[in-house]
Amino acid sequence: MERNDSTMQLPVARPKMRSRVAETMQLRVLRPRPSGYTLSPVPDSGWSAAPSSRRIWVSRLVLLALLVMQAGLSLRLQNTAFEDEALYLFAGHAEIAHLLHGTPLYGAFDSYFSGAPVLYPVLAAAVDSVFGLAGARALSLACMLGCTSLLYAMTRRLFNERAGLCAAGVFAVAQSTAFMGNFATYDALALFLLALAAWIVVRTAESHPLLVLLAAPVAALAVAVKYASALYLPTVVLLGVLTAYQRRGLPRALGRGVLLTAATVALLGAGLYASGYLAAIQSTTTARAAGTTPSWTIVRDSARWGGLAVAVALLGAFSYVRSGRMSEMPGWRGALPGARWRAALGLLLVGTALLAPAYQLHLHTEVSLHKHIGYGLFFAAPLAGVGVTRLMGAHFKYPQWAIFLGVVLLSSGMSQAYDNFHAWPDSRSLVADLRPYMNAHGSYLADTYEVPVYALGRDTSYRRWNSTYTIDYTSRSGRHLTGAAGFRAAVSDRHFTLIVLDRGNPTGESTTVRDALVHSTGYRLIGTVPYATAWGSSRFELWAPS
Amino acid sequence: MTGPRLLLLALVGCLLATVGACAPPAPQVSSAAADAKVASPSAEPPYDIRPLLKPDHKYLGVAFNGSPRATSPMTAFTKKAGKQPNLREYYAKWGDPFQADVNRAVWDDGQLPFLVWEPFSRTAAQIADGEDDAYIREFADAVRDYNRPLALSFGHEMNGGWYPWGSKKTGAADFTRAWRHIHDLFTDEGAADVIWVWSPNVINPVPNVRLKPYYPGDAYVDWIGVVGYYALSGPTTFRTLFGPTLTEIRRFSRKPFLIAETGVQAGERKPAQIADLFAGVHARADALGLVWFNLKKEADWRIDSGPLSLAAFKKAAADDSFGFDVRKP
Repeated sequence: MERNDSTMQLPVARPKMRSRVAETMQLRVLRPRPSGYTLSPVPDSGWSAAPSSRRIWVSRLVLLALLVMQAGLSLRLQNTAFEDEALYLFAGHAEIAHLLHGTPLYGAFDSYFSGAPVLYPVLAAAVDSVFGLAGARALSLACMLGCTSLLYAMTRRLFNERAGLCAAGVFAVAQSTAFMGNFATYDALALFLLALAAWIVVRTAESHPLLVLLAAPVAALAVAVKYASALYLPTVVLLGVLTAYQRRGLPRALGRGVLLTAATVALLGAGLYASGYLAAIQSTTTARAAGTTPSWTIVRDSARWGGLAVAVALLGAFSYVRSGRMSEMPGWRGALPGARWRAALGLLLVGTALLAPAYQLHLHTEVSLHKHIGYGLFFAAPLAGVGVTRLMGAHFKYPQWAIFLGVVLLSSGMSQAYDNFHAWPDSRSLVADLRPYMNAHGSYLADTYEVPVYALGRDTSYRRWNSTYTIDYTSRSGRHLTGAAGFRAAVSDRHFTLIVLDRGNPTGESTTVRDALVHSTGYRLIGTVPYATAWGSSRFELWAPS
Repeated sequence: MTGPRLLLLALVGCLLATVGACAPPAPQVSSAAADAKVASPSAEPPYDIRPLLKPDHKYLGVAFNGSPRATSPMTAFTKKAGKQPNLREYYAKWGDPFQADVNRAVWDDGQLPFLVWEPFSRTAAQIADGEDDAYIREFADAVRDYNRPLALSFGHEMNGGWYPWGSKKTGAADFTRAWRHIHDLFTDEGAADVIWVWSPNVINPVPNVRLKPYYPGDAYVDWIGVVGYYALSGPTTFRTLFGPTLTEIRRFSRKPFLIAETGVQAGERKPAQIADLFAGVHARADALGLVWFNLKKEADWRIDSGPLSLAAFKKAAADDSFGFDVRKP
């Protein structure tokens, strides 16, 4: 019997309850031997669902790698200034001269700019003064890197780190992100401010209600920088309401929304009253002239530029509505938002991605659509991140899906960004050929006059240049003429010292001007400057008095 | 494979098919411009020919056998004349390609190439109707890429009846239509360095043919190039040879004129008439210069047909007002 007992003894730490039961049953139990192995109680999972510093640092390192890649994707794009960049930069220089030295302003920038001329143009021109165009574009790159970082931070709070990194990856390789990251216009700064406002409302969802007001000046500034940013303000406010509702309930969440809306509207109203930019906002944004681009073209290009990312976001939204669980830890029992809340969040974020294409469909214009796609993509990206994590499955069970998506998104983003960044000609030859014709009293007419005005710098003044869109001309016979008649009279009077027409991209009354020139005895074609873009080749024509 | 993944695969497939099926948006490029072979910007700036249109000095031009490729006749002429001409006239048949390298060599040698384009193989109407547009555009492209000045005369002596494009076989309307069509195509192709020379014969042998109907218009012409010779019969002075023609031309155009083809037939009067020719050109501010037809064709028009003629030519050409460096006008 003793032998049997000793044979049955295993070096196992027995739970106390069992010991008690055993003793109750009057079984003889030997004392554990001092030597041997002791197994601790086996937990349900080998890791913790709670945040850890290791996870944070690993995520940040991955994010850093994504940011480095994003910077590379933007900086690989090289071209001379686009007309919008040139316009904002030389206008910014003019505004600075006006602010610092009282130099009179011409050109009425505040009447047609799609953002306040005293904000981004001044900032970019100040950077341009020191670092040139590359510096102004680097400012945009910093903004876009900031957008990606804020996107990660926001998605991490809404979902988790993995979804945040996937969202940042989807956003970083998009053509709009690479493009805007090396493009000196309002867009990068405006998107950064919108991203900051969105992050603030998510970050302060559990804080004091008044802290949500921090987002108001940021959101208002985003709209002031680029008026069209107002399209995304409802998304920011609703995002704040949704995130607060999860913790605070509907009344308090709505209160926050009202508070944020009121503060933002008040700031915008005050700014509008003080600046008088209403006419410009109407002409460039709210009552913008309709174009003639077919709807199918806009839909097709929207699909090309952002369709896949939005499709992944849609998939993520469906998946998230079906199951809100983001942790893959077995036995995890965290608080899950309700299905309706999840559906609302999905609808809000994915729906926002469709705002810009829908508005441009309404206007039948494709101008800047490739950039505007990026605004919506920022808001849809968190759910795209969720979509990617769901496709990969728990424990990276299907990594091939993430690799597949990454390859398709990266390659299409790179090629599209390259095409879009080379949609305008390299102007170095043109500018070099124009320089000898510049003089202090000359009058110049050009299809895209902004580029030579900016590139020629101190060799010319924007006051000496006229676009082919509008003219206010008094002929030698004393008649005051505008539009096509004005251009024809100016050609007939040999008013312009030099006329530069872009055969590949005639703008405004360019065709009228050219017809007048071809049949004119006062002008002759003195040269052409060939160029090639991603879409084909053409040439600039230089006409001068014969 | 689970449902969501199948859905995504379908979506990606649809998107890729859409992207593949749809060409990217094309820019607004004219058909002509779109066909242009412009891969990279030219290293050379466009040549502005305006200083050559009304230079301060007169052109001293020459036409000879073998032009423009042959160089030895030019050397010989320069040696005999005592001055190098700064304009070289040559003839090209309709259908010939533009020889950019040869013209470049002429220019580099210090002469403005003056191409006389002879439409033997096509009527003016056919040209005006666009039957040879491909050829014209190709020719214009070559001229544009040559990127140096070129004087160009289409259908010279159109008022005479001795050429197929002349007044006996071609209507004035068709001629001007063809001229404008060629000019427009050159402009469309960006061939900017062409000096358009409208070149009638002097009206003396064809007094009944009016010039104005054959004139394409000031917007299409840079120079008026008058062709006239001091023959043994006919007018014997600059005033009588060229005067009536210039008087008629001045009724519809103020464009400067070039004696686009001239010579003096060998004879006793030749030395005096050479002096008269140069004096006549020198005297008129609207005269750009002259082109000496240095050939023995039907008659001996060469400057060295006799020692006195050669001496007269050397003396007249020595005038500082004739000849200048066309590359630095």
